Amino acid sequence: MIPGPSSVIRVSLMILVVVVFQISCLVQIRVLGGGADIVPLLVAAVALYAGSVPGAATGFFTGLLLDLALGTNLGASSLVLTAVGYGAGRYREQRDPAHGLTPIPVAAAATAAYVLAYSAVSFMLSIDAPVSLLVVREMLVTVLLNALIAMPFFALARRVLRPVLMVDPSPRRRRESTIAQGPIGLRGLGA
Amino acid sequence: MYDKTVRRRRAALLIFLALSIGLLTVYFGESAGGGLHAVQRGAQEVLAPIEEGASRAFKPFRDTINWIGDVFDAKGENKELKEENARLREDLAEAQTAQREAEQLRDLVGLPKGELFPQATEPVTARVIARSPTSWQSSIQIDKGSSDGIEEDMPVIASGRDGGGLAGKVTSVGSGTARVTLITDESSAVSAQVMPDGAAGIVRPTVGDPDDMLLDFIEKGRRVSEDTTVITSGSRSDRFESLFPRGIPIGRVTRVNAEERELYQRVHIKPFADLKRMDFVQVLTEPGISDARAALP
Repeated sequence: MIPGPSSVIRVSLMILVVVVFQISCLVQIRVLGGGADIVPLLVAAVALYAGSVPGAATGFFTGLLLDLALGTNLGASSLVLTAVGYGAGRYREQRDPAHGLTPIPVAAAATAAYVLAYSAVSFMLSIDAPVSLLVVREMLVTVLLNALIAMPFFALARRVLRPVLMVDPSPRRRRESTIAQGPIGLRGLGA
Repeated sequence: MYDKTVRRRRAALLIFLALSIGLLTVYFGESAGGGLHAVQRGAQEVLAPIEEGASRAFKPFRDTINWIGDVFDAKGENKELKEENARLREDLAEAQTAQREAEQLRDLVGLPKGELFPQATEPVTARVIARSPTSWQSSIQIDKGSSDGIEEDMPVIASGRDGGGLAGKVTSVGSGTARVTLITDESSAVSAQVMPDGAAGIVRPTVGDPDDMLLDFIEKGRRVSEDTTVITSGSRSDRFESLFPRGIPIGRVTRVNAEERELYQRVHIKPFADLKRMDFVQVLTEPGISDARAALP
């Protein structure tokens, strides 16, 4: 990501819109006992397109806004989302995924990591009440729904971020196998 | 160059993690009037108009999606409602008789009528503008605050089955917004009584299942029947001191477990308030507070 005010403004606006939309609207929509949570999707999308450091920063500030807006334990969401953003960013930096469907597994993994880690943090902080197994169902539904909406969400995030990215994250064509290209990638050049 | 990038990346991660842990530590260490809590209340005040606008703007979208889900649920619910309707008709006749008798008895012992819900309280209707997205912390934010007469620890009710019931209590108040911790929050514990059995206990949530709550600490000897109503006890005793006035309906007993090994019975109840879908709630303020605030210049 190109450092500068434009990047900061774009990401800040995305964070504000996503957090407000999540807590004012999406949280009231229940499907099969659970609901979509676009907060980890935003963090994963920024990390996937911009890298680990912008991912971690987005995670931290998204979590901070979420906790401030809801009056919940300040720092808990930041802690978890920072790790999610950094992890998604490192995946992009190490593997450089080019497949067009990459957002789906990334969204599912980021959401699963978020809900599991948040549950663990909540347990460590103060959970005295008995816990129903329906929590597991709710987590699974959230992961599933987030995987379903990952493609349009990541496409929208890419569209907003594209002007401030160093590398255009458009899905690239997969490189052909060495069997088709020849051992040094020159087969067919003479034809 | 590579080392420098790696070092910078790791340093950024460590800084953000350290900041998060620092915030968490200070937040837990300070009182409700501390600096971070004050910042949080300020942020909620600033964000409230945006959340309220978004909540209103997205309502048609939310309702459309929920309507689709409701169509699937309605078929099964129809049969249950017919059965419940027949039972309620019988209950109504019994209740009318009991009410007449109770009024006569109350006159006899001189109990003030106003102490029972909802006469002794003044409901202030508020719109839900935000709610927590996880099961671990069940809270909502409403668009009424101290300027409307709302204070901490005031009970909050919501509509739902059988006319609704207790939804939670106010835990933090700003001038124009307030945070309500729902009875399904893991920290919630409500002193309650089963009617007409009279057994007293504490209503606690089951995290992750808002339709199943537990009425704990009921002595084993006390008989609790299924399908009876649980209300707030309004108790003043040290053991079960209640923040809520007596008589707010909480839920209906669905199942009673009394295992031999357990010291207390475990009673499952289904709350009357529909805690999953709330657009509006009512805060039960003390009479006179809202009028007094409104009269202030």
